Formats: sequence, structure tokens, C-alpha cells
Amino acid sequence: MQTNQLFGRQVLADKLSVETAWQPKLIRRPTMIITGQWAICQRCGQRIAKQTVQLPQEAYYCPHCFQLGRVTSNQWLWSLPEPNLFSKRTESPLSWTGQLTPAQNACSQQINHIFGAGKTHLLWAVTGAGKTEMLFLGIEQALMKGLRVAIASPRVDVCLELAPRLQAAFTSIPQIVLHGEMKGDYEYRQLTICTTHQLLRFYHAFDVLVIDEVDAFPFAADPGLNFAAEQAKKETGALLYLTATPSKELQRLERQHKLTVSYLPARYHGYPLPEIKVKLTRRWRQTLTKNRLPTAVKGLLKQLVSNHRRFLLFVPHVKDLAALESVLKPQFPGLKLATVHAGDPDRQDKVQKMRTGELDGLVTTTILERGVTFTNIDVIVVGADDAVFSTAALVQIAGRAGRKAAYPKGLVAFFADSQTKTIKEARHQIRFVNRKAQREGLLGGYK
Amino acid sequence: MSECLLCHRENLQQLTLWQLLNFQPVVPDLLCQECMGQLEPISVDEACSGCGRKCAAQFCNDCLLWKAVPNFSNRALFQYNDLLKRFMSQYKFYGDYRLRKVFQDKIEREVRQFHADLVLPIPINPATQQHRGFNQVAGFLERIETVDGLVTRDRVKQQPQSGKNRQERLRTEQPFTLNLNSKKFNKKRVLIVDDIYTTGRTIRHAAELLQSAGANEVMGLTLAHG
Repeated sequence: MQTNQLFGRQVLADKLSVETAWQPKLIRRPTMIITGQWAICQRCGQRIAKQTVQLPQEAYYCPHCFQLGRVTSNQWLWSLPEPNLFSKRTESPLSWTGQLTPAQNACSQQINHIFGAGKTHLLWAVTGAGKTEMLFLGIEQALMKGLRVAIASPRVDVCLELAPRLQAAFTSIPQIVLHGEMKGDYEYRQLTICTTHQLLRFYHAFDVLVIDEVDAFPFAADPGLNFAAEQAKKETGALLYLTATPSKELQRLERQHKLTVSYLPARYHGYPLPEIKVKLTRRWRQTLTKNRLPTAVKGLLKQLVSNHRRFLLFVPHVKDLAALESVLKPQFPGLKLATVHAGDPDRQDKVQKMRTGELDGLVTTTILERGVTFTNIDVIVVGADDAVFSTAALVQIAGRAGRKAAYPKGLVAFFADSQTKTIKEARHQIRFVNRKAQREGLLGGYK
Repeated sequence: MSECLLCHRENLQQLTLWQLLNFQPVVPDLLCQECMGQLEPISVDEACSGCGRKCAAQFCNDCLLWKAVPNFSNRALFQYNDLLKRFMSQYKFYGDYRLRKVFQDKIEREVRQFHADLVLPIPINPATQQHRGFNQVAGFLERIETVDGLVTRDRVKQQPQSGKNRQERLRTEQPFTLNLNSKKFNKKRVLIVDDIYTTGRTIRHAAELLQSAGANEVMGLTLAHG
């Protein structure tokens, strides 16, 4: 096998050989540790009662990470230690020329320090704060030192949006984008952008590892991916989590002083986050089945249409999309509408049309809750009390409005049959960061 | 709380009155109600007597063309729909052996109804066996006494059936040989079990072999048809 396919990687095989010079450095680790009762996967770290995953012969497999090739206990995990075969640079590879606000700059310096010190850190910055730009300084310094850098996200859309931005910011640095549906093969590059699942294939590879949208599904719900992130970075490597809505678990780690945090409670354009307005409906789903719009929703939409406002409309489930669309179409015949969900083959196309303004409104599920930016839109959620919307999801959805400096305001309206705890927490969180930003004098400062 | 092995959603199951009253430990379902609801069972009286597909006539057009093995009939339990495709992909190609248990009860009940003397799972190549670690059909039949009466001729599969088109599949040559003395099959009622019936080529090759070995009656049972 080619040596550069193995640098910092872990490959599943019975036997494996590399060129003789590297042969003594080859690391062979067991794929699973078998105890009296348990089988513990060494790739995703998950522990399974061993008799449930026994194959007919004396072998066990891991049922958690089989989508990247099944880990079976009679194989080995092979890797070569990361040699950092990248040239050190004296001149900066950063071709980005934008300006950071003072608050962004402070976070950026902290991040640079964390990367240098090899620590674990959380950057808690509100939606639309300009998180990616704050990474540039740290990444620049790391690349100049010849370090290996990766940016991972649970969402493939986020990866695909990040990659061109990073390519534009570091034009001279070769990068590779890894995800489940990619066409090409893996290549050894200094800068890796990948989904968090792909981290399962790395072993002590990265000096700097950034996990963007750390609270998003599936990373937050899958302890195997947390394990993968820890294992993908070098033991001395830095790990930075980015999010606007940290989970309870991350907030707890912070309180216990196990995790350091940088806050950025204001957007780069210095306007507060649009606050959530909640309006109650009565059994909106039943109203829809009778081919009517809930009165409150109808009133608001009429207002938006007459003001020529474009909007995102979120619904809880895929099956609500068609119902809502069939009611909306006859009510607003001139309106250019589309629906989109995770399994939609034209998903990218429709999102692009919404970006360019070809569509007036997009009815969507939670897939567009994060990682996308549209200019000058309003945000509506119908059925905000549904269990699929977590507090984090609601805050992220509200964060789709007013992201651009030219249009920093937007309406955020939630329709729900009842005020739930998640809605209250979301409203509270947004008010909390706005107040915090106000106190720190971050609002209205730079326009 | 358990989760569905296919869709990973929380699997909340309603207990039946029987489960509540019989004071036995409840074995949790492996798939959720929603996934199980997507199955499309084929009942015996609406199936083709030849291949087991859903068909109004007694024999479907395909089976009218299969004159080579006149005394063979297959029973298929389900349509090979999207859900079963996902199931087979996770079970066979990803190798999630836990899934063998999902249809064990159903298949076991069905096998008993055939009153066969011998039950034969379709074998897989040693190379596949080595790689996958199990025979997917034998996994379904774990709790039933079976005979390994057939073996594959090749150690390695040249090209998987699923990678061929219909014409190529039908041209496939006999992939099996007998593993036991043909006396074993003499005057016996034999049931061959496979996972999917597509063109019928594989299972009919097996059936031909057993009939020429002297089996009295050869029947087929597959999890799905399609």
C-alpha cells in the first residue's frame, strides 16, 4: 500500500505491507477489545454486549460504524504515524483580505493561542457572527508551521459550503474534501475538510482539528463520533468546537472548568439577533387537512406578500410539506414557492434558486436550519411546538434572518398550538445573548 | 428503550394483551412499527404457483417460459421493495448479522408448513463467506435443522448476480455441485431456501441438480421476490 494513504489513517485489513523503509514504523492495533461480556470497537469506541454481535465463527463485529466498512475482531487496524511532510513557510498563505471586528479579532487571537497550545476549546458565537473568518488567523499560523489541519462538520452541506471559502482564503494550500458521496479517492493533503463520520478513518493525524456545528445531528447524538474526533487528532493536537447553540453537555463541561470557552454574543454587523415572536394557533394540522390555512398564518403571509418579502417556512415533518404547499398555492397564486427536504433530488438546485431570488418562498424541514445564508428574508415556523424542534434547532432557525450587513433585520415568527419549554428556552437564549452583547457594547458599533 | 435497527428511530412498541397477561419476558421487536409496516407480504392465494410473485393468473408469463424445471414451485414471503432493499443492503453488504433475527420467526413458521425431509440453504462462495463472516440464508435458518447439500463450484464469485442484467443472469451457468452422495436425496422432499428470487436462475439451477440426484419433489422458499 502507498505510504501516504496511511499517514495518520487507520485502514482495516487482515494483512498489509508498505515499502521496506516504512515497514518498521507500521502500527498494527486490534480492531476490537474483547472482554468477558463486552466487545469494544477501537475505531468508534463503542461497547457492545458481545453475544449480540457474534458471527458464526469466533469473531465479533461493531454494529455502530459498519457504514465505513465493518470492523470485525479478526482483522487489524493499520496506520503509519503522521510525518507532517509539508513544507514550512515563511510567507503567509492567507489570501483573504477582509477585516475582523474588534470582538471577532479578540476571539481570533484566542483561537490562535489554543491551536498553538494544543488544547480543547469551545467557540460559542451567535448565528451569523462570522465564525469561519475567525479561524483564518489560527489556520494560517498552523499551516506556516507545517501542521496538518482539518475542519469537520456533521453536515455534508456545511462541508460543501466551507470548502470553497477555505480554498479562496488559502489558494496555495492543497485541500481535500471527504464525505460519503464523494467521487474521487482519499489523498494526503495539509488541509482536510470532511464530515465527522470520515474522522473514523483517521488516527492521530491532525495537529489542529475544528468541529463546526458540534451540536448538530448526528455528532451530538453519537458518542462514537466524539471518540473519533478525539482519536483523529494527535495526542498533542488542538481541538476546537464551534457552535451557536452548545448542548447541555458542553455547557456542563464549561461549568466544571473542563473546557475553556470564547464567547461572541453579537453578529459581525453589530445588530442584535431578531427576536422570536410566538403566535398561537389551534390545531393547525387539522386546519390544513380541511384545506385552510390557520388564520394567523394566513394574515402574516398576506402581509409578507404585499410587502414583497421573501421567506423561509419551516414545518416539522416531510409529510407536512405537501399539505402546506397544496393549501398555499391556490391562496397565493402569484407566489413562486418550492418545498425541499433531505431526500429531495433537486435540493441543491432549489436552495440555489432561493439564494438568487428566483423563488419567493421555500417551505422546508429542519435540513435548512443551519449552515445556509439567504439575503433579506423572513423566517416562519409552523408547528414550532413539535418535538422535532429542539431548542438549538429553534435558535438556529431564528438565526437565518438578518444575516447580511445590508439587511440586518428580519421577522421571526413561530406558530404553535402551545408554548413549549423548547420555545421558551429558545426565546430566552436569544434575549440573553442580545443583552450580553448590549452590555459588552458590541451592538451598533461598526456598520 | 430500544432503537430500530434500520431507521435508528426510537422503537416504542405497544404491548399486546397477550404479552401483558402471559407473564413471559417480552422480546423487543428489532424493527419499529413504521418499518415493519412498509413490508408488502405476498399471500399464497394471490401468488404465481411457479415463482411466488404477486400475480392474478396461476402462472405468470415468466414461469410459462420456464419449461426446463416443470416440477418446481417457489414461495416468496414479501415483495422486494425499498424497505427490503435497505434491509438486505445492511444485512448482506454491510454485514450487520443482528438483522438475521428479524425474519427468523416468520421463515421458521413457513418452513414447517412445507413438511420437507431436507432443508437446504443456498450456499455462498468461500471467499464471500470469509469476507462476510456468515451465510445470509443460513442466518435466517439458524434455529432450523438444515443440510449443506450444495457447494459452489468457484471459490470466488466472478460477478455478483446483482451486477448483471436480466439476459446475463439467465445465461449464468450452473454454479453449484452436490456436496453429499446423491442417495441422500433419493425420493426426498427437498426445500431450497434463498434470500431473493429475481429471475429464478439461481434457485432453479439448484433445483435441477437436486432433481437429477433423485429428489422426489423440490420446492423453493425465498424471503422476497423482485
